[in-house]
Amino acid sequence: MNATRFLFHTRSLRLPLLCVAGLRNKSLSSGPIALHRFLSSDHCTRRCLCSKPVFRRDPSQSEESQNKPDKTLISYDNLFERAALDSKNKATFSHVLDVFKNKDIRRRGHVEFIYAALKKMPEFGVEQDLAIYNKLLDVFPKEVFIPRNFIQRMFNHYPRQQECGVQILEQMENYGVLPNVETKVLLIQIFGKKSHPIRKYQRLMYWFPRFKHVNPYPVPRELPQDPVDLARFSLHRIAADLNAKVTVYQMPSSDHNEDGNLVCQPYIVGIQSPDQREVLAKHRPNRPVFVEGPFPLWLKRTCVYYYVLRADPLPPEEKVEEPVDPERNFFYPLELELDYDRDLGDDEDFDVDEVEEGPVYAMCMTDSGDRDTLAKWISGLQETNPILGCTPTVFRLDSGPSEVQSCTVSDHPEIEDVLQGQKMAQ
Amino acid sequence: MFCVKNARLHPRTIWHFTSYGVLPIRCYRRPGVPPDNTPPWKKIDFNFSKGVQGIKKHFGLLKKEMFERFEGPQGRPMREIMLEQTRVVWEFRNQESLEQWVVSSDEEMGGKSKIYLRLSRNNQTALLYGNMCTEVPKDGETRYSGYCTLRSKQLLGAFNVKTHHDWSNFNTLYLRIRGDGRPWMMNIATETYFQHQKNDMYNYFLYTRGGPYWQDVKIPFSKFFLTSRGRIQDDQHPLWLDKINTLGFTLGDKADGPFHLEIDCIGVCNDRAHTEEFAYEKYKKNP
Repeated sequence: MNATRFLFHTRSLRLPLLCVAGLRNKSLSSGPIALHRFLSSDHCTRRCLCSKPVFRRDPSQSEESQNKPDKTLISYDNLFERAALDSKNKATFSHVLDVFKNKDIRRRGHVEFIYAALKKMPEFGVEQDLAIYNKLLDVFPKEVFIPRNFIQRMFNHYPRQQECGVQILEQMENYGVLPNVETKVLLIQIFGKKSHPIRKYQRLMYWFPRFKHVNPYPVPRELPQDPVDLARFSLHRIAADLNAKVTVYQMPSSDHNEDGNLVCQPYIVGIQSPDQREVLAKHRPNRPVFVEGPFPLWLKRTCVYYYVLRADPLPPEEKVEEPVDPERNFFYPLELELDYDRDLGDDEDFDVDEVEEGPVYAMCMTDSGDRDTLAKWISGLQETNPILGCTPTVFRLDSGPSEVQSCTVSDHPEIEDVLQGQKMAQ
Repeated sequence: MFCVKNARLHPRTIWHFTSYGVLPIRCYRRPGVPPDNTPPWKKIDFNFSKGVQGIKKHFGLLKKEMFERFEGPQGRPMREIMLEQTRVVWEFRNQESLEQWVVSSDEEMGGKSKIYLRLSRNNQTALLYGNMCTEVPKDGETRYSGYCTLRSKQLLGAFNVKTHHDWSNFNTLYLRIRGDGRPWMMNIATETYFQHQKNDMYNYFLYTRGGPYWQDVKIPFSKFFLTSRGRIQDDQHPLWLDKINTLGFTLGDKADGPFHLEIDCIGVCNDRAHTEEFAYEKYKKNP
């Protein structure tokens, strides 16, 4: 009885679909309640049962199109799609796996079932769940695919099943799931000790822990949900200075004004380090400062945007060499005026021209990048940096993301708006 | 790997002229695209002025190669080669420096990622930008998609003889970059002896911080691991630095959206604090 051969829709039908073992009516009546729900549209599978149709016919099609058969393979009723009608979560997914596992002791058609399940995993949101992967491996019948003699061991024993097992592990690899001992035990029970899936498992266990902490700028797997926390995290990351201090200039809030309209206040989170404050204090008020942005920052799959307060680089004639304060460090001199020429073997510098760029004074993140919001940020910065009160501020805001770049003002096509800082202070 | 005998009979095979003689190499062919059966002589450009230019260029190079030996290896004095601790290999200061690089993306296999390389606005650094798209092409065979690559061109001497970078005096790769937080991968391809090793590459990760500041990255060569066709190999081998063919950057972090990476310069240096020879086990795995 092969009633449920129409239950499974497998898209990779390069090989003729094996007959998926039948779900007996007995087990149907005695099965759990949810099982009835999956199989509630039983009548359509029954209809397919009588004949063995290879081509699907849609009754809504016109007469002549019914005469010539559709060229696509039959679309099998999908256990997962029916489960998805209910809700797409881990519980339904594992229930589908249970239903398949308890249906037939021979687990016929399990390779097709596993491929279909692997494809459906992101839809159900279980693609990073190790327990589900182990459960999926548990679908394989145990001890059948282990080679028993040297000839079987010499050749590729049950290649399709081994390939399928490797595919499960590859999907784990792609989603960054590290297998555990249970996975290993299952694989050994299913495929034996020197099979291809075990090799893949060993490779994963060798390379994954090795590269687990190589990222010097780690991003947590779950990013903070609160936008202010996310902004705080991102700003600390790009500031590259442990002394930098985050200031929340405005918390996000939504309020009804007197007309009854919803007014949302965007959040403004800024960061400034003491060094930046020091450099900004030496800025000459006759030269403008620029608010530039938005620039993208990627945290794994999420993209956030930040804005930068900066100035143009000083022209070479205005540069002043400041002597290093000798009391800055008591342990060794920061400057040595020795008249020795350095040997080439001691020269550790790279022979490249320095890229001339203006200093960065502060950075901020906000969820609305219009000028009013950023002007609020500048006025907030004025409390600690009074020089901004007498410096013209130019807003160079792009509509879209762009590269971080300091350049001359003349060839800048974006909106430029000079606001006198004194006005903003009011 | 393929059988040479069969490959000769196969119509898809193209003939590749290498320094070892004529050997067939089967290149990647997109699924669904008919094989390119044009005979090789139809691909040769018999333009006269181009030939004259080629002769001028190659004999000029030959002359340069002959006379720079009197100066020292690669036309540089021996003292400099023996004592130098740092060397700038690529810097991006003008348009000509971009000619030494090739960009490619998964568009070659039907994907939709885009990548471009140009000088950034102050004409001092290279800007690599584009858009990443992980949509898999619907050809029925491709399973994953979404990569963007920048790769340096093979060094060629007179008469297009392959020459190589020799970095055996150094142990660290130095990069000055500014990215947008995306992780990249550095690829180094070395000269190999056997044909079936042509896809071998040594890779390591390049993490960018993001933000407005430049980043000095030092990657020791001992950390590079051997891969072939995008798979880490079981038998690892340290990178031999005497014959480096190409260096590349690859982005494939599965995040759809725009990206950019600014590169100021790429160099090699000798980090005397780094003594590690190879970061991975070299014993035979999976006996």
